[in-house]
Amino acid sequence: MARRAAVRTVQRRARGPVPQAKVPIRVKINGVEYSHEVEPRLLLVHYIRDVVGLTGTHIGCDTSNCGACTVLMKGTWGNEWRAVKSCTLYAVQADGAEIITIEGLAKNGELHPLQKAFWEHHALQCGYCTPGMILAALGFLKLNPNPTREEIRKGISGNLCRCTGYVNIVKAIEAAAKEIREKGSWI
Amino acid sequence: MQHLADVEVYSVRTLREALELLSSVKGLRVIAGGTDLIVQLKTGVVPKTNLLDVSRVDELRYVRFEDGILRIGALTTFMEIYRSELVRRHAPLLAEAAFTVGSFQIMNKGTIGGNIVNASPAADSLPPLYALNAELKIVGPRGERFVRIQDFYKGYKKLDLMADELVAEVRIRPPGEGYVGHFFKHGLRRGDAIAVVNGAVLLRLSPEGIVRDARVALGAVAPTVVRSPSSERVLVGSRLSPEVMWRAAEAVVNDISPIDDVRGSAAYRRELSVNYVFMTLYRIARETGVVA
Ligand SMILES: Cc1cc2nc3c(=O)[nH]c(=O)nc-3n(C[C@H](O)[C@H](O)[C@H](O)COP(=O)(O)OP(=O)(O)OC[C@H]3O[C@@H](n4cnc5c(N)ncnc54)[C@H](O)[C@@H]3O)c2cc1C
Ligand code: FES
Ligand code: FES
Repeated sequence: MARRAAVRTVQRRARGPVPQAKVPIRVKINGVEYSHEVEPRLLLVHYIRDVVGLTGTHIGCDTSNCGACTVLMKGTWGNEWRAVKSCTLYAVQADGAEIITIEGLAKNGELHPLQKAFWEHHALQCGYCTPGMILAALGFLKLNPNPTREEIRKGISGNLCRCTGYVNIVKAIEAAAKEIREKGSWI
Repeated sequence: MQHLADVEVYSVRTLREALELLSSVKGLRVIAGGTDLIVQLKTGVVPKTNLLDVSRVDELRYVRFEDGILRIGALTTFMEIYRSELVRRHAPLLAEAAFTVGSFQIMNKGTIGGNIVNASPAADSLPPLYALNAELKIVGPRGERFVRIQDFYKGYKKLDLMADELVAEVRIRPPGEGYVGHFFKHGLRRGDAIAVVNGAVLLRLSPEGIVRDARVALGAVAPTVVRSPSSERVLVGSRLSPEVMWRAAEAVVNDISPIDDVRGSAAYRRELSVNYVFMTLYRIARETGVVA
């Protein structure tokens, strides 16, 4: 019944001159519930950065190529954690979702194995690509906890780094994968 | 960059709502994973329109095998297709192609319906769908209809699809016993590699290694994906010898009309097509023991 009314509202809104109606959304980011009224055209990455204020998720391009905006998401398109590029997704499409950003990885002041390994293996220089790189890595380690180097390269192929040359990134992910397997907990 | 501050995005949860809005509101464009559309809107490749977000219409996200037909809902992502046991069993060509659609982030969000309707001649799902003679289920206010994938494309980005219709399902009848095939792709960088050339080869071989049926499909070398009847004719009835494989591979140039663009010249694409078809035939011949 509520949905029928929603369709009518949309039909009414869509017929008139376009009003800037906001849409309510609820998302859980790093375990914290947020609800906001957002403009329907707001991209998820802008929502995370500008509305919620978590600026660790970066924007590096306009074409969905660089991967700097990668976050983990579940609960909308299926119930598994999946790495997605938050720059090609509207915030309204994430209504009801759970999201993990780079700010959600360290626990009680202790770095996540991936963060630690990036530090120890010099897998970053300027650090701009790092949040996206780490979340892309976490996303595929969830699917494949024991990857070969070749598989790691496929796993981060959606992320660009202009500084490191990738070799140390691959080493860091390999080391983190081992630690995550030993700990038995990926997050 | 196009200014998008006045674009509306309407979200629906059911197919019925989606169809109602498409037929009652003019000028809405469907958005699924958005991996093509949001980029095209930003860069102005497509005109600015209000959007109908169907990404949460869960009833269109499934892989099923019923009545001897593999059915894939239009909103199924390439990650789900790649990981599906049913796809691996009944249409392994498509699972191979799914694994090459961009990086994991793109596979996680890009849908098969979006890949089909975006209608790039380089779309990776299409050569397998052409080789498998797939059919699309299209739904709209006038009910549902079925179109063969070859008939869906009328020219470069020209589709047999009305503005008030949606692609709902991809149907594949598994080709049956004795079929072996592979997908191939030449891209420049894996994570965002739109194919320079891609394709699929599917053969049915007799126990003696004679080709009984041959399907050769190529992408990025014509305004739409094409089958190569010239190549298929060389193959059918012959034993897969290196000489036959070369003749079949060289015959593909009769059926393609590549162009020069940022990813490669026409001549390069012709060369790649021949070489990749040969390599794929050779791979099949080796895997089936026809050549050592
Ligand atoms: C970095 C990057 C890398 C990529 N790499 C590849 C690659 O390697 N291979 C490849 O083939 N593609 C690639 N793509 C393109 C894209 O990801 C795929 O084509 C994807 O399948 C599109 O699906 P989508 O759900 O995101 O479509 P959307 O962007 O949501 O939609 C695409 C088009 O289809 C229409 N549409 C969507 N669903 C339906 C439906 N059910 N009914 C009717 N119309 C519909 C939309 O209106 C739109 O015109 C890449 C894209 C990016 C950004
Ligand atoms: S900002 Fe570059 S991929 Fe999202
Ligand atoms: S560390 Fe500078 S872009 Fe990767």
